[in-house]
Amino acid sequence: MTARTISAALAALRSGEVTATELLDEAIAVADTHDEQLGIYLARFDEPARKAAAAADEVYAAGDPAGPLLGITLGIKDIITSVEGPTTAQSLVHDPSWGDQLDAPVVSRLRTAGGVITGKTTTMEFATGLPDPSKPFPIPRNPWNPDHWTGGSSSGTGNGVAAGAFLGGLGTDTGGSIRGPAAFCGISGLKATFGRVPKSGCVPLGYSLDNIGPMARSARDCAIMLNVLAGHDASDPCAADEPVPDYEAALTGDLTGLRIGVDPLAEHRRADQDPLLGELLDAALAVLAERGATVVPVQLPYYRELTAATGVTSRSEAFAYHAPDLKSRWSDYFAATRQGMGAAPAYSGADYVQAQRVRRVGQREVASLFETVDLIVTPTASVAAFAIDGLAAAGMERFRAMHTSYWNAVGNPALSIPIGLGAQQLPLSLQVIGRPFDEETVLRAGDAYQQATDWHLAQALTTDRAAVGV
Amino acid sequence: MSNESEQLALVLAMAGVEPIETDLGPLATAYSIARENSALVASVTAARYEEPALIFSARP
Repeated sequence: MTARTISAALAALRSGEVTATELLDEAIAVADTHDEQLGIYLARFDEPARKAAAAADEVYAAGDPAGPLLGITLGIKDIITSVEGPTTAQSLVHDPSWGDQLDAPVVSRLRTAGGVITGKTTTMEFATGLPDPSKPFPIPRNPWNPDHWTGGSSSGTGNGVAAGAFLGGLGTDTGGSIRGPAAFCGISGLKATFGRVPKSGCVPLGYSLDNIGPMARSARDCAIMLNVLAGHDASDPCAADEPVPDYEAALTGDLTGLRIGVDPLAEHRRADQDPLLGELLDAALAVLAERGATVVPVQLPYYRELTAATGVTSRSEAFAYHAPDLKSRWSDYFAATRQGMGAAPAYSGADYVQAQRVRRVGQREVASLFETVDLIVTPTASVAAFAIDGLAAAGMERFRAMHTSYWNAVGNPALSIPIGLGAQQLPLSLQVIGRPFDEETVLRAGDAYQQATDWHLAQALTTDRAAVGV
Repeated sequence: MSNESEQLALVLAMAGVEPIETDLGPLATAYSIARENSALVASVTAARYEEPALIFSARP
């Protein structure tokens, strides 16, 4: 028994094997059974979703042209606005009238494509930090083991896809908040090139680093969603006016002629790295080579410096936004939010400017590296999902095990795909990075790997695995 | 009080934020990371003459 993908669901909808209402019923049943434990949703939209699913079924029944996501269940991270209700950013501080309760451009695009929005999913407060049990919000738990965290901050979209509460969804990524939860929950997640997807309607964290992107079972599903999400929108001054190719059409399964540079980042891993990471990484590289790629070693330039640049930029931009509320409502923030952002004034104006200059140098150096290879791969993280017990005590220091924020500094597209289970029987993942606006090649490599493997289809819920004897 | 603690207290006071007592330990850790990050970006001497655009772009 394997999990359902968007692409398989679309085929089943088009053939009449399943209806959108039946897909939604499946999703609602999962939420009814597991949401209380897993903390997937902040708000469920069962009734509007039922209407959307019924409308989708009418289109299919009539044989009318169907939108590219017609009848597909989707969860939206609750820092992105939608018409169904206020956006909370999972915060007591956030003004619920922010965004005027309109659909963000990305939500509007998903809806126009026929997506069935099932609800707003959990996040970390303002898309940063850690859970805070003293605040009245769910603590997202990992379907692979509910004693472990989902990763953050697109937590509810990550565990919701993994659990089957919806087939795909939106996350946001300022330093790894799509790729981290995707890795910890064993699904696929894409941070597209900065500017590829308009981010207006998303509560900002670090506006020069923020990305909205798809999270789903497979790279193919991410491609299907990116076909809908990508493209310029004048409401976002950072949105890129670049042509949008057909990402799904690029998924040939063939990597012949591609040169893939691999940096295992061994010197940047922590002592608590998963002992099986090296073995799984080697196996994944072997699959990419079998599909035709040439794998060569590379070393990422300025790894620590660019990771630091993301830290300086993210904290400074976030503090500029939150300073008035941090002064007046300190204790209303989550502990990790106020403790992380609170130290941001340690960065001077010169530090912020220098971080931007380092990003430019980094872009140039990374571009030089991409003159020798077509893709770069690294581990997404050197550890599996953290245990919830002791998470706050370990603090943000633990996030050094994530290898994601480097790519926010330079803006390149980066996809996380699962490559197996680590020592604790929790997912580990590979990160595939491409040239700016070359999501086609990134997704092609991810899909080629997934055509040869089935880690992306593995059942996450312990109850589902027990039912099939896994 | 260590020199770094004094610096943090000054930074927080200048920013006008008043943390609760239990946050001071984690803030000290975050402050140490911030100083480390500042030193790392400052170490990139190749960036000295860069003039980045105000709106970040993946294609500078």
